[in-house]
Amino acid sequence: MTEPRMTHEQARDLAAAYVLGALERSEEAAVRDHLATCVEPHPEFEAFGGVVAALDLVDLELVEPPASLGARIMAAAAADLAAHPRTSAAPVAPPAGAPAPAPAAAPTPFPSAAERTARAERRRTGAFDWALRIAAIVAIVVSGAYVLNVQGQLDRARAFDQAVAAVVQAGQQPGATTVVLAQQKDQHGSGIAAVASDGSVTLAMRDLLATSGTQTYTAWVIVGSNAPVNVGDFAVDASGARAFTTKAVPTPAGAIVAVTLEANPGNPAPKGPIVSAGQVPSPPPAASS
Amino acid sequence: MNESQSSLRGRTASPADDADRAVLALVADGQLESLQELYDRYKTMAYSIAVRITSDASLAEDVVQDAFLGVWRNAGRYVEGRGSVKTWVLSIVHHRAVDAVRRRRPTTELPEREDVPPPALQAPDIWHDVAAGLDREEIAAAMGTLSPVQREAIELAYWGGLTQQEISERTGTPLGTVKSRVRLGLLSLRRALVGDEDGLSDLSDLAGDGT
Repeated sequence: MTEPRMTHEQARDLAAAYVLGALERSEEAAVRDHLATCVEPHPEFEAFGGVVAALDLVDLELVEPPASLGARIMAAAAADLAAHPRTSAAPVAPPAGAPAPAPAAAPTPFPSAAERTARAERRRTGAFDWALRIAAIVAIVVSGAYVLNVQGQLDRARAFDQAVAAVVQAGQQPGATTVVLAQQKDQHGSGIAAVASDGSVTLAMRDLLATSGTQTYTAWVIVGSNAPVNVGDFAVDASGARAFTTKAVPTPAGAIVAVTLEANPGNPAPKGPIVSAGQVPSPPPAASS
Repeated sequence: MNESQSSLRGRTASPADDADRAVLALVADGQLESLQELYDRYKTMAYSIAVRITSDASLAEDVVQDAFLGVWRNAGRYVEGRGSVKTWVLSIVHHRAVDAVRRRRPTTELPEREDVPPPALQAPDIWHDVAAGLDREEIAAAMGTLSPVQREAIELAYWGGLTQQEISERTGTPLGTVKSRVRLGLLSLRRALVGDEDGLSDLSDLAGDGT
């Protein structure tokens, strides 16, 4: 419903309900518009606004959130940062058509090792450890290789958030490393992955084209000059996002993790195009401490 | 007193506020670790508010995630002097939680998804620090100055996410009466908490008619 332009008196009249959040959002927007342009003082908003903080302090039973929530939020923020780099972050040229370089030399906007150690002692959950890893990823994929088209697509972003959370979980395990899967030329899809110590790979992919019929995405592990090993097939729905954990095969540092689009599942060798690929880096320093 | 900062209307920032603003500035700069710090500081309050409003632990998690992502994306829009960082963060949580419960209720106008935290509740709270210094008992005593119907109206609005119109329908009370109860209730709370000295008399006509 569209309101006519709000008068000073009307805004004043709605102040109490406004600060309590008890207006329809359209009314609320009308009040906000009025406040933004009104030249008269509106002391009532200030007066009532402060009272609201007290309501949070009374009768509120304090409940601790589950530890996983923090990890989810940080994963979502990291993914968001990758999609929308802050202006202060120096963009890095995307590796066109090539697997992402090892992130060993990537600068991270994070505190010193000493600070990290101090924090790690405070936070036994290791939530910080993965945040560092994600940040290392973020630092090298702040540009085109990892463009997350999230604007106006929050639900899709959420599907990806969930997938990233799975990677975060896997990436926290001892001996795990993380891989960036860069979108290949003329293809759709990029992501991140955690390689567990048993060699299984947990992928979080996004921007993939939806599969139809027998079509499937297939994950491959390629070690040196060996033949690619099929480690699992997965379908993708309209969200374009998918979390997937592969079979466990040896996946040492330097191995390539690739995703191809195949006409049918179970292929012993890739036939379709490589959609996205990345190289398993040497374990980051944070993992050894 | 910080007379030089006239825009703050004499509000003195507490050390906690200063620390929060420093952290928020780093969040605006894209520092994930500062977001973690801010989250750790307010996660319990944030989650408790979301649980209280949604009565749904899993929905509350989504709300808190949504809110902190809003903080992450919009930290640069926080306006100093318009309430503390804490109030800002918690008001975003509150707002998102109310949106979530309204979305579950088919009767209400569906809020559009907002990516920008609205400045609702961001009115300068000059006495925030005073309030922060109060203990629960003092605030509970102030709540005790409300009549039962005033308290009900405020709680339905703030914790129930109901609009004034919905409160009117639910309680079978005329809309004008609901509006008066909400206003009188907030005035009464304010009077009990911070006294009458800072321009409150200007607001007396806001008490409205009747009840």
